Amino acid sequence: MADSAAEARIDQALVTRIQLGGDRRAFEQLVRRHQGMVRAQLRRLSRGDEAAADDLAQETFMLAWRNLDKFRGEARFSSWLYRIAYTCFLQANRTPMRHDPLNDETMEQLQAPIHAADLQLDLERAMRQLSEAEQVVLLHCAQMGLSHEEAAYVLGMPLGTVKTHATRGKAKLKAWLSDWRDASMKEIS
Amino acid sequence: MNESHDDPIDALLRRQFEGPVANDGFTERLMQHLPSRRRGTAWPLWGGVLTGAAACWICLDSVPLLHLGWRDWLAGDLSTSAIGMALLMVAISLLSCLWGLLENRGS
Repeated sequence: MADSAAEARIDQALVTRIQLGGDRRAFEQLVRRHQGMVRAQLRRLSRGDEAAADDLAQETFMLAWRNLDKFRGEARFSSWLYRIAYTCFLQANRTPMRHDPLNDETMEQLQAPIHAADLQLDLERAMRQLSEAEQVVLLHCAQMGLSHEEAAYVLGMPLGTVKTHATRGKAKLKAWLSDWRDASMKEIS
Repeated sequence: MNESHDDPIDALLRRQFEGPVANDGFTERLMQHLPSRRRGTAWPLWGGVLTGAAACWICLDSVPLLHLGWRDWLAGDLSTSAIGMALLMVAISLLSCLWGLLENRGS
């Protein structure tokens, strides 16, 4: 927690340097600090399309550069960037994220463990069967490690909705991957 | 951070996430295409203020009540016209403040 507070202070200092004097080096440092997670977020949202994700990441940082005067520090700088990135993604992909319809055959495949290594593949498939909202909430909360409040800010959703999607999404994954539970517990421990 | 990191599903999801992407020249490419930063210029605002004040002055110059109020105000006499003029100035100032606040919130 103390580390993240220190990181936020460094970001704020860099942002102030840009706001006061248009310091390009400070912006370069900000890009270096955050490009990894922004690109990872966009790659996940773009279903692994690295080229599209990097184009969106470039657009995200360009928008951040142009609109940095509007950043008032009401959220962490990283959350502000994720929000811009998510907005860029939504604008570029007016068609909704893929949501595979649930059918018995898929469920059967998910519940037939062969090797524990397949668990990640099954998790990936199970994730795709969640609703779009559940997928993006779990991406930001469970995978990227944002708090529910931060995810609500990034996704532009009410806090209660974020919590509901997170709980429902995880409950569905638990149910679908119930046969894997023992294997996963062994792997994690 | 989330409250339920001890959940096996949370642990699985975290493991599935690849984490930050390596830079691999991304920052350098971005910085090469970064445009110069447009600074907000103040002259249109002050130009507008001065033009508005001049227009007001020209329009109201022929109103004797304002001359009277201004003269009374300078003489320290709180006549009806002086109070009216002071109230008018306060109202305009408040409206300007409100406008500024709303603009600031909207940006």
